[in-house]
Amino acid sequence: MVFSSILFLFRFLPIFMFCYFLSPGRVKNLALFLGSLIFYAWGEPVYVVLMLFSTVSDYIHGRLIGTRRGTRAAKGLLVSSLVINLMLLGFFKYADFLIQSVNALAGTDFPQLNLGLPIGISFYTFQTMSYTIDVYRGEAKVQKSLLDFGVFVTMFPQLIAGPIVKYRQVEERLHDRRPDILAISYGAKRFVTGLAKKVLLANNIGLLWSLIKDMDYGEMSVLTAWIGIGAFALQIYFDFSGYSDMAIGLGTVMGFEFPENFNYPYISKSVTEFWRRWHISLSSWFREYVYIPLGGNRKGIPRQLANIFIVWMLTGIWHGAGWNFVLWGIWFAFFLILEKLFIGRILSRLPQVLGHVYCLFVVLLSWVIFELETPGAIGNYLGAMFGLGGQPIWDRQALYFGRENLVLLLIGILAATPLAATLTQRLHKSREGYAMASYGILEKVIPAALLLLSIAYVVDASYNPFLYFRF
Amino acid sequence: MHKNGIGSNQIYGENYREKRNAALTAGVICVILLTLTVADFLREDRLFSPQENRVLAAKPELTRESVLDGSFMKDYETYVTDQFVGRDKWISIKTGTDVLLQKKEINGVYLGRDDYLIEQHLKADYPEELEEQKLELLEKLVGRWDARVMLVPTADNIFPQRLPAYAEVYDQRALLAAAKERVGGEHFIDIYDTLLQHSDEEIYYRTDHHWTSRGAYYGYQAWAAAVGETPQDFSVETAETVSEDFLGTLYSKVRLPVKPDRIEYFPLTEQTPVRIVYDLQKKSNSFYERSYLETKNQYGYFLDDNHAFIEIDTGHPTGRTLFVIKDSYANCMIPMLAFHYEKIYVVDLRYMNGKLFPFMESYEPESGMDVLVLYNCIHFLEEFRYW
Repeated sequence: MVFSSILFLFRFLPIFMFCYFLSPGRVKNLALFLGSLIFYAWGEPVYVVLMLFSTVSDYIHGRLIGTRRGTRAAKGLLVSSLVINLMLLGFFKYADFLIQSVNALAGTDFPQLNLGLPIGISFYTFQTMSYTIDVYRGEAKVQKSLLDFGVFVTMFPQLIAGPIVKYRQVEERLHDRRPDILAISYGAKRFVTGLAKKVLLANNIGLLWSLIKDMDYGEMSVLTAWIGIGAFALQIYFDFSGYSDMAIGLGTVMGFEFPENFNYPYISKSVTEFWRRWHISLSSWFREYVYIPLGGNRKGIPRQLANIFIVWMLTGIWHGAGWNFVLWGIWFAFFLILEKLFIGRILSRLPQVLGHVYCLFVVLLSWVIFELETPGAIGNYLGAMFGLGGQPIWDRQALYFGRENLVLLLIGILAATPLAATLTQRLHKSREGYAMASYGILEKVIPAALLLLSIAYVVDASYNPFLYFRF
Repeated sequence: MHKNGIGSNQIYGENYREKRNAALTAGVICVILLTLTVADFLREDRLFSPQENRVLAAKPELTRESVLDGSFMKDYETYVTDQFVGRDKWISIKTGTDVLLQKKEINGVYLGRDDYLIEQHLKADYPEELEEQKLELLEKLVGRWDARVMLVPTADNIFPQRLPAYAEVYDQRALLAAAKERVGGEHFIDIYDTLLQHSDEEIYYRTDHHWTSRGAYYGYQAWAAAVGETPQDFSVETAETVSEDFLGTLYSKVRLPVKPDRIEYFPLTEQTPVRIVYDLQKKSNSFYERSYLETKNQYGYFLDDNHAFIEIDTGHPTGRTLFVIKDSYANCMIPMLAFHYEKIYVVDLRYMNGKLFPFMESYEPESGMDVLVLYNCIHFLEEFRYW
């Protein structure tokens, strides 16, 4: 089930919230757990068993590790937990990729498994791993209640598209959460904002990209190619951050505080900064559980660069089982390393605008690798972006795409900056009468309008993709 | 994060106002969601949406298999979305927003100048292989029956000045040239330039994808010139308006407030009594069925909408027979052709099963018959097929 659907908004959500808020105290967790299972099983009626297996496995591992902290047995149990999680992930997500790669390299002919990827598996396995690791390190207490632990793993708001919540971030709230009206109101607004980002911006801008993506790259003009990849950049940002907003919003309504996942990534002045603002919960997971254990920056520059390379290769392949995702990760590792070595120093002395241009340039090219999968398509599209095939700089079609989507793209670009948030903050903080009055009104009118418009676009959804089926 | 700005040192009144404000905001969002949920539970299912002109999804059946393979969930989701309360209004809101965003293309329809809605066609949707396949069929038909072919370009080709700026158009001239080359110039009636010359007139409906009676008249003139017949005079003055509130298929796709179309016909075509049999059963004494003017499908006024097979006794004792293989564009032109034939057979291949040539042979008189293939270019590519 996806959030941006009539089914979720007018069946699941009201019925679930009704049951949830009527449930007393501890029963709330039962409601949340069962609701989440229904939510997941709706899209994955079979794989729900897999998720439950993962839950029980890490629950048991956690308990066993908890009573043996500091012993060799604890280490063995941690390894066992990680192996089980990574095996699940490896088998369901990467097996066919491995088979394909082996076949291609060795000329063998092993048959593919053709298993469908269980939705959200990359999110929940990472969450459960964070639990056993933190318990092993003594940074989180053992969860004795299977129900509470089940809630942590299966919780529907962030189950299928993040943010990746570390256990200790919600540990307390699993058994004690008391959202006040301010939290509920904030969560509701946040959810509507996310819905609007997904439905009004991502889907509509994505429509433009889907047209351009299907064109013949040898024939399209340079301008069309840039409009296309710019549209994809906006689409994936609004889609992904919209999902995170919806997740954070729903969590807040129930009294959770999920970590932030995006912080206006496209205003970054360097690739390093971009990765501090993009999919924060994933990069912080890798930093904490891979980069730092590998030595981070404490073992000299060469080791640090190698660590960056490893982490971003893993980040790349986390996004999908394909060589283009590996390449995508390496692409970023390359620039991150360059920035560590010398570009960073140069950038800091140059005017800021050059940093923005450089960063957007690297990121836009990265989306070509991310989105187009095959080397041929990637090469041809990059060729079109630079007119290498003798493509014209612009043509009638590019002007049409530009004209037709100008307003939408401008709104998208503005919405990708902190402008609206800054204005809202300023209005909210102001103590002048008219500002307070207009904040009071706008705070209701804007979410209401966004919600109604989003519903209209969901009802008439010719294009409402789920982009994370490969994650 | 939500605790921003609520320090403990703040005065009680401000805190209170903040909370009341928050409650109102949350309330507004909840009320919207809840009201619509309740309204949606109370509404009744519809079978058909006249606005979208399609059958809406019905509630799927709950079985073990359909749940396990996930098809129940998928179908249920389609069902809920299709039947959602106020669906038509939501769609109008969406379209209105698209217009505000300065979109000039909605649902595959260009919002053109002079109140024109113009259907969008993209070359990419009609690959070479498809074109080749259709032309091969056409060549075979013309070879066997010595047929004449008229392919009518669609409005996007004829009204470049009415299209939005830079709008993409499937230029049908290449298709027409290829068709002409395949069937031979003497079999091909080219009306592209003729229509282009009249592109300042209303030769296509503004809200529908068909050509108007006036457009068909120019087609008829071109036909007469090609076959060496003297055409009847169906000029503007002789036309009579039968409807002024026609909102056609393109209107249905965009649902924006637009000026409705006029439907005209030529009374001259009614002077001679005709006998028509539709699909071997339904009989009529007119080319025109007024009852359609009371429905949404007003173009059905011409030749009783679409039928697989029509037999017409025109009442013009010329002793000659015409066999027309056509799409709906022909419906408003056939009454004009009636002046030149005693008998006209009309086949719409979309609704025909069985082999075409033996069927045609069974209706061919000993003296032989003329055969005319009449389609618009798009329908030709999409619908022209026979066995």
